[in-house]
Amino acid sequence: MEPEVIKVELVLPTHMSFKRIQIYEKYPKGQSKVRWKQLKQILQAENYHNYPPDEANYVNIESPPSMHPCKKICDITGFEAPYHDPRTNLRYANADVFKLVRSLPNEHVQRYLALRKAAVVLK
Amino acid sequence: MPFISKIQRQTDYDLFPSSTPIVIDNGASYFRIGWAGENEPRVVFRNIVQRPRHKATGETVTIVGDHDPALLRYFDCTRSGPRSAFDSNVVFQFEIMEYILDFAFDRLGANGSRIDHPVLITECVCNPVQSRSKMAELLFETYGVPSVAFGVDAAFSYKYNQQHGICDKDGLAICPGFTTTHVIPFVDGEPVYKGCCRTNIGGYHVTDHLKQLLSLKYPHHMARFTWEKVEDLKMEHCYVALDYALEAQLFQKGGKEAEDKSRCWQLPWVPPPMEEPPSEEEIARKAAIRERQGQRLREMAEAKRSSRINELENQLHGLEFLLQQLEQVQQEEIQSFLSETGYVSKQEIESTLMKVSQSLRKAKGEPKAEQAENEEKADSSTSEKYPLVNVPDNVLTPEQLKEKKRQVFLKTTTEGRQRAKQKRFEEELEREKKNQQDEERRLENPELYLDQMHSKYKELYEKVEQRKRLKTNGGHANGNNLSGGVGRGERLNAAQRERMRLLTTAAFDRGKGEDTFGAKDEDWQLYKLMSKDNDDDDDGADVDEAELARVCARLQEIDPTFVPKPELTAAQPATAEAPRARPLTKEDFQIVLGVERFRCPEILFHPNLVGIDQAGFDEMTGVSIRRLPSKDGALEDRLTSSVFMTGGCCLFPGISERLEAGIRMLRPCGLPIKVVRALDPVRDAWRGASVYAANLQFPQQTFSRADYYEKGEDWLRRYQLRYTL
Repeated sequence: MEPEVIKVELVLPTHMSFKRIQIYEKYPKGQSKVRWKQLKQILQAENYHNYPPDEANYVNIESPPSMHPCKKICDITGFEAPYHDPRTNLRYANADVFKLVRSLPNEHVQRYLALRKAAVVLK
Repeated sequence: MPFISKIQRQTDYDLFPSSTPIVIDNGASYFRIGWAGENEPRVVFRNIVQRPRHKATGETVTIVGDHDPALLRYFDCTRSGPRSAFDSNVVFQFEIMEYILDFAFDRLGANGSRIDHPVLITECVCNPVQSRSKMAELLFETYGVPSVAFGVDAAFSYKYNQQHGICDKDGLAICPGFTTTHVIPFVDGEPVYKGCCRTNIGGYHVTDHLKQLLSLKYPHHMARFTWEKVEDLKMEHCYVALDYALEAQLFQKGGKEAEDKSRCWQLPWVPPPMEEPPSEEEIARKAAIRERQGQRLREMAEAKRSSRINELENQLHGLEFLLQQLEQVQQEEIQSFLSETGYVSKQEIESTLMKVSQSLRKAKGEPKAEQAENEEKADSSTSEKYPLVNVPDNVLTPEQLKEKKRQVFLKTTTEGRQRAKQKRFEEELEREKKNQQDEERRLENPELYLDQMHSKYKELYEKVEQRKRLKTNGGHANGNNLSGGVGRGERLNAAQRERMRLLTTAAFDRGKGEDTFGAKDEDWQLYKLMSKDNDDDDDGADVDEAELARVCARLQEIDPTFVPKPELTAAQPATAEAPRARPLTKEDFQIVLGVERFRCPEILFHPNLVGIDQAGFDEMTGVSIRRLPSKDGALEDRLTSSVFMTGGCCLFPGISERLEAGIRMLRPCGLPIKVVRALDPVRDAWRGASVYAANLQFPQQTFSRADYYEKGEDWLRRYQLRYTL
């Protein structure tokens, strides 16, 4: 290790005196082979439907979809956008922005749409 | 105003008795750890872990928190990005959590064989029991902690501020966090989780949105927009507009107020060094050098040529001498003589002699008229070589007939070659004549000629352009959905359209039901029609292009101001390169933050701007109040009169006014609405937890290892802290 790296103690040491079980004992060969459950799987395994529904749990405190009408703003400039381009599915504010919209390469179009989660996702 | 990590190792670990709890605020953005009862956490760092490989030794090491990027050059960070233990505010990766806790306890100064202090750790609202139990297990088993308590960070912050009189014992706490935002009603000082509401939007989304917008607006500077830099920008410049539509209109009009509100970030830029036009001495010097080089090359060529000439002459002399000797030698000894010299017969010697003399002549550079003579001589000899050609067929034997055919063939080919040569010669003469005429015209009337040339050039150019455009259908990126309908809709030029028409009609006209194309031979004539169309088109194109090239060259010769327009061939990049020809100025390196300043925090209030279909801040308060189990009007009024904001995201200027306006829309008219912000939104959670842990009643709220194993998971699920001690 380079001296400056050691001096600033960048790297986490592998043996800690206050630990009962060290990391290298718990996970031999470096990384753990256990695949940790993602949040979705954790929530599924919780079986919240077994418990009374009015009890608060992680799932039922989630907020409902918005009741307000969706505000349409231009994807490129951020102004209010009453218009919508059928070819690229972007929203735009006026004619100048429209010129810009039509001259964008396809990659940029998809990225703008991805901001709104409206992009075409091919799995 | 970036958050600063504190990772100095603390030295006073041993000074604290075993009963002093350690307080941990385990947030998705920052991890804070310290002793109970103190005002500031001892160790603060970003809650991420990186596992790069060390370049020199090759071993994989762990680095916790964010560090000076200069030091990271010793590590190969390409395959390891920063990883977080969280998946939207729930801890799920406990290996990473272990690294983080290791690091945290280490920097707190821990030594000894186990962590012998009770630990108070924060979690998210309604944490799933699996996550909770794994965390408890980690603390008990690996670190040997005697007792653990879990709490919600927003509640700690609320209690802390309640004690300081900022908010009442009934109120609503709104805490926008890193990945999520919660609204929790507090009744009698205790959080009511049934009325709680969570939206999956937070500071992370705002920063991400800003990063994407800037990258799309300034694609050339994309490398500059790192996550940390964008976060700094967000913290410094973003604000919440009271009314989004009004602000947007302000910017759209582009008046002076909009200018004032835009911030400009100048990237480091070095103007390129000015190239002075080379002075006369420079030019003269370069010319002299070039001259000398040319001279040297010419001398070398000359030397080579003379050496070659000498060589050939020597060979010639040798061969002539050989011939002379041959004549003097006797008939019988010819064979043996010849075998010594290596030539098989006299003719061979003679032919080599002729070849050598020819190449000598070429090397000497004598005019080709001699060669023409030679060719003529060759021609005259060929007419002798074809003796059988003129003899009528019926006289010859079959072998002679074959011979005759061969000779006829040879004769016709040589004649054809000669004719082609003649034609080329004539064309050459024609071109010369035309050029001369052109010259005369130019000399008569230079300007008119120039104009004519220019107009001809323009015409031809446009024709060629149009044809190219037709071929590629506009060269548009977005022209893919045209209703060309034919195949991919791209090839719509006249010839191919015609071709398609022919094919489809042929297929269609056959008769009802079956397709009998090809049953009759005449059907295949269709393809002849089609391919002819194509050929014409291509030929036309070539002729025009050749003409264009000629005109272009001519114009370049005679007109110093003529600049040929760049041709859009397939090989060249898009015309975006053409404007780059002008030198990059200072303005190109400026990043202007205008609308983005208030567009990004807007997503907190309208998550469907980023596609997340959930309620925004103001709506969430309404939802939360609706969800309360007890429908008490007075209670609701009390709640709205004390709306408390905590969490990193509420540091945006203008957010409290906006929230107030939003809540006013939801509640009946005239009710008191008061929105307050925590004293220190970022650190209050830890402070609240610290005050809580320092309370004497705290140990009753914890659970020990024995409890955990005896009572089981069900008990753990229902375990909740009581916040009012």
